[in-house]
Amino acid sequence: MNKLKVTLVVLLSLFFLYGCVQTNILDKVGLTTLVGYDKGSEHKIETTAVIREVNPEFQSKVEVITTENDTSKGNRMEANRRLSKKIMVGQMRVVLLGEELAKEDIRYYLDTNLENADVSNSIYMAVVEGRTAPFLTYEYKDIDDIGQHIYKLIEQNVRQEFMINATLHQIAHDYYSIGKDLAMPIIKRDQEFVELSGVALFKGGKMVSKLPAKDSFYVKIVRDTFKVGLYETILDNDDIPSKILQKPTDKITIAFDAIHSNRELTLVDAKKPEFDLDINIRSRVLEVFPDINQGDRKSVAELEKAIEKKISKEIARVIAHSQEVESDIFGFGEKYRSIVRHSNLTREKWHKLYKDMKVNVNVKFVILRDGVFE
Amino acid sequence: MTKPIQLSPKDMISAYLLFFIIHGAQVGVGIQGFQRIIYIDARQDAWISVLIAGIATHIVTFCMIKTLEIYGSNDLYGIQIDIFGKWIGNLFNLMYIVYCFVACFSVLRNYIEVIQAWLFPSIGTWFLSATLLIIIIYAFTGGLRVIVGVSFFSIILSLWILPMLAFPLKYSTAESLFPILENDFRSILKGAHSMTFTIIGFEILNIVYPFIKDKEKIRKPVHLGLLLSTLIYLAVMLVSITYYSGGKLVKTIWATLTLFSFISFPFVERFEFIAVCFWMIIILPNMCFYLWAAYRGATRLWNISGVKFVWLFSFFIFICSLVIQTRTQINTMNTIFGKVAFYVVFVYPILLWPIALLKKNFTSKKVKHNEQA
Repeated sequence: MNKLKVTLVVLLSLFFLYGCVQTNILDKVGLTTLVGYDKGSEHKIETTAVIREVNPEFQSKVEVITTENDTSKGNRMEANRRLSKKIMVGQMRVVLLGEELAKEDIRYYLDTNLENADVSNSIYMAVVEGRTAPFLTYEYKDIDDIGQHIYKLIEQNVRQEFMINATLHQIAHDYYSIGKDLAMPIIKRDQEFVELSGVALFKGGKMVSKLPAKDSFYVKIVRDTFKVGLYETILDNDDIPSKILQKPTDKITIAFDAIHSNRELTLVDAKKPEFDLDINIRSRVLEVFPDINQGDRKSVAELEKAIEKKISKEIARVIAHSQEVESDIFGFGEKYRSIVRHSNLTREKWHKLYKDMKVNVNVKFVILRDGVFE
Repeated sequence: MTKPIQLSPKDMISAYLLFFIIHGAQVGVGIQGFQRIIYIDARQDAWISVLIAGIATHIVTFCMIKTLEIYGSNDLYGIQIDIFGKWIGNLFNLMYIVYCFVACFSVLRNYIEVIQAWLFPSIGTWFLSATLLIIIIYAFTGGLRVIVGVSFFSIILSLWILPMLAFPLKYSTAESLFPILENDFRSILKGAHSMTFTIIGFEILNIVYPFIKDKEKIRKPVHLGLLLSTLIYLAVMLVSITYYSGGKLVKTIWATLTLFSFISFPFVERFEFIAVCFWMIIILPNMCFYLWAAYRGATRLWNISGVKFVWLFSFFIFICSLVIQTRTQINTMNTIFGKVAFYVVFVYPILLWPIALLKKNFTSKKVKHNEQA
């Protein structure tokens, strides 16, 4: 029994010794909530960090510090020299990349964040139109904490499926996979606002093109599935079957939400290669202008047809654009690799194939219901 | 034949507890990052490698039980002395003790490396190893029944980690698994071979056998324990292959922990930090069983008391943990140990069975012959 007591005493003392481990007390650390990278002069990295200092007595302070150094950790050290508090990155939520830098190679910025155990895999990444430093240091009239603001902005847009989801994990997944290229939201300053302005397409680690924000719907519908979502489109004159209209008009604007979509990809011909892309969409129509008789089964069917045609056309356009810049953000290559045995697919090989790939887009659109007022 | 081990009933344990012993001794540090090692060999067919390795454990265990049954109530140390004679047998016993020592040490060092990489980079290795060693010394001094209790609670308490595997499924794509069997059979087997370091532990059966009360009932719990381990490894592997892309999996050192880094609750921002800490409960039975197995061997070689042995053993482990410091050293140790363990755990028992059979036939004939004469 005595021996047990001795071991217990030793164990307890060691247990309390764990308290001597380096502590990180909230009011003594500066929390980095956002980091923006830019291309600096002479191969250096320019980092802009948004650091939140929590102060128990006063309102917390937000500092935006720009430093230039050879590595991102060097920048952290330099930022540390300017602050009274220790800088921690555990609460980092967003990583922004300057456009110029994104056009070169983003690999370093991925790896440096993946390697650090303090950085969560669920942080968001985005490309900034122009440089990040002026974007972050600009004094927005109504935004207190630019780091938190951008995080919430991206998060709510991703949650509502207005924007493609680009977390560190997904980006690294796509970057390190053969047959899928990564895509990120583009963010920019518009007067006193911060705005998601589009989708950046990458080829390997280089940004090669961008699509406007409106097209993110099509990107998303081909990339993965929808569960909520909201979308509006304009049906042009030649898309509209004249029968369903009560009065002649040039175009119909239409908006639908509560979108459920799934996509199915089948490889028809491995040599060319040729894919069938079947997309099923079920949604609720919110707005149709001018009015269409939605009580009539026939005219609803006609309307569905018209929307199907419109969406197929747009999807085909978006895919064609991505083929032009050789950026397979939809993951056709992954499908190809998973079906064709011993394809020995490399990224270069796939980009070549992708350019001449043929896709047959089939959209099936079902209007589940309309609103409460016809 | 050597005398069977005589034990009082209060030292014995029930057969069904073998389920917890086998499973608790198997699952440990390996599962934190075995995916990339297998993936390098077998690519998207890595899960088949896991399955093959799992089947191999059943076959080996079958041979082990057969060998043990020949001797009634004896452990591997006794069997080796009987088969190979006093000198060579004792040499083999000594080697087995060293094997247990290295196994115990590698579990400890790998876990400390994980803590240092994820949580406290500045904390000293000596401090963590001293703390962990004192815990296992504490468990060891309680005897086998306490160690079995530790493994029982280690499994029951860590069951909740399993459902966490469902979270990463949100980002999984089944496409990553196809085409199935694209890689040739040799690379899949090579992947199964790389599973050694992760899947070993069940060889503890060789030592624990004499302590089982109802020996005719051991097959079911032993094989169920192995099955559960295989299923867990398989589930983790499948989730990992579909969650990561190939290139990312190869570069992720502790893929299981990184898998958890996505999970966050309103009250826990980073779930993997909890998982890393909680892993200590999972590795405890690992270390306790190896320590205990080494002690069983040592009592046959030298006249040494349990308390003396455990302090000596821990002291050496402590010294070793000071020597091996860097990641490269740890990786080299793991690779070499994995290779040796393959022969000790997978090849040796299969060879031992026919030898033991031959020996038994030979001696029984001799006895008969003597009787006739």
